[in-house]
Amino acid sequence: MPPVARAYSRRDTILFVSCLVAAFAAIQLPDRIRDPLASALRQTILAPLVSLQSGAEQSRRSWLTRELREAQRDSIALRAMSLDASLADNDRLRKLLGLGEALRWGFVPAEVLQGRGVGEEYTVVLSAGSKAGILPFSPVVAPEGLVGMVKSVDPTMSIAIAWAHPDFRVSAMAVDGGAFGIVGAHLGNEPERYLLEMRGVPMRSNLKPGALIVSSGLGGTFPRGIPVGTVIAEVKTSELWARTYLLRPAVAPADVSDVMVLLPARTTAGVQTVWKTGLHSDSAVKSIVAAGDSLARLAAKRDSASAPRDTAAKRDSTAVTAPPVVPSPQHEARPAKAPPRPRSPTTTTP
Amino acid sequence: MRPTDFFRTLIAFIILVMLHYTLRPLLGWRAGPDFLVIATLLVAIRVRPGAAALMGLCVGLVSDSVDVHVFGAGALAMSAIAFTASWLKAVFFADDVLLNALFFFLGKWAFDVIFVLAGHRGDAGQVAIQIFVWSPLTAAVTALFGLVTLLILRPVLRASPS
Repeated sequence: MPPVARAYSRRDTILFVSCLVAAFAAIQLPDRIRDPLASALRQTILAPLVSLQSGAEQSRRSWLTRELREAQRDSIALRAMSLDASLADNDRLRKLLGLGEALRWGFVPAEVLQGRGVGEEYTVVLSAGSKAGILPFSPVVAPEGLVGMVKSVDPTMSIAIAWAHPDFRVSAMAVDGGAFGIVGAHLGNEPERYLLEMRGVPMRSNLKPGALIVSSGLGGTFPRGIPVGTVIAEVKTSELWARTYLLRPAVAPADVSDVMVLLPARTTAGVQTVWKTGLHSDSAVKSIVAAGDSLARLAAKRDSASAPRDTAAKRDSTAVTAPPVVPSPQHEARPAKAPPRPRSPTTTTP
Repeated sequence: MRPTDFFRTLIAFIILVMLHYTLRPLLGWRAGPDFLVIATLLVAIRVRPGAAALMGLCVGLVSDSVDVHVFGAGALAMSAIAFTASWLKAVFFADDVLLNALFFFLGKWAFDVIFVLAGHRGDAGQVAIQIFVWSPLTAAVTALFGLVTLLILRPVLRASPS
């Protein structure tokens, strides 16, 4: 409880009136006096208070700035995440451009439309249709390899089955042509469902893991040389006359956003130079080997043809240069004269 | 006032002035607590009205110098409320919490009214909004903080037995 109030005197009134007058005087002070006065007060006796106030304001500002910086950092992180996606898209589109440049003609670029229905996980809707020249059974390819095949065509869109579709089949071969078979979806359980199977490979053909499998061109639907997948391992089956191999697909349909649909003329013309599968180099090596063999064969043939002539010519030349040797009975009876034998060391010592 | 009481009051006053220049800018509220008014009222009820007016003038000049406002308006308002508080201290400052809160509320509101009117800042509409919207709000916040301060500083502000 505060102390009891004291008496109110005239002195208090005078002091109060004086304070009011002083305050009014301060209000009425001209700027040229008031500002230096306030500034002088701030720089002298009020300096600690001014310092406290500015420190507190700076603390508050830094606190607010911290929140702002956190927000900025979050925005940058978000942008960086979308940047990764953009870079991936760029990379993919660049590859697609590369594929288009390699194909040069006879293809229709199409966008894979999202939002596939339930139960249609193995089909893709393409943004191009018959107006663009797409026909059913046209191969659908991506920069990485084979995606699938057009199943039905509308004027502005088409539906294609991906390789994971149970009805999808492609005649395929090892890139060196050492083994042929039919590639289809591996109808296993969920993790393995998105793999491929190469069936009907002859028993004599042994594929090593990592071997590239490309379309063989047999059947006419898919041109030769489109990558289909790589061998993972052999699958043991009850078939005794053929091998079955599990393949890792070249293209993951879930990651495909843009594709190329090959037109019939391009399919007929072939795409063997488009994907660098080694198919060409392999055939080139074979050609070189074959050429080497044929050269060797030719040389051998030439040698064999020229051999009797040479012996005859040699015989003729010796007949011309050397006189005919007439063997004497002495010559025949005596052995040829032996060369002089070197002296033994015992005979050379004095 | 005894020397002990004087020093206690001085400590409380310094603490409140420090709070005004540290906590208030840190909070940064549009209607923040005015610890200078609380400090002035706390001291004013312990001294004679004339001394209270003088102290209010000094505190007001300090406030006017540090804050960028109309120089002298704060001094006028502060000396007026200090004098009035000291004059009315027998009425207010019973040991009633609500009465103390009302005391702080009215003191702050009166300070703002005098300050705004003496400063002649803004047009009539802005002045009315300041007086009837922001000032009561600030006064309420000041009253709340004043009560908390009274509770915290009760051991310091308690008068020594005579």
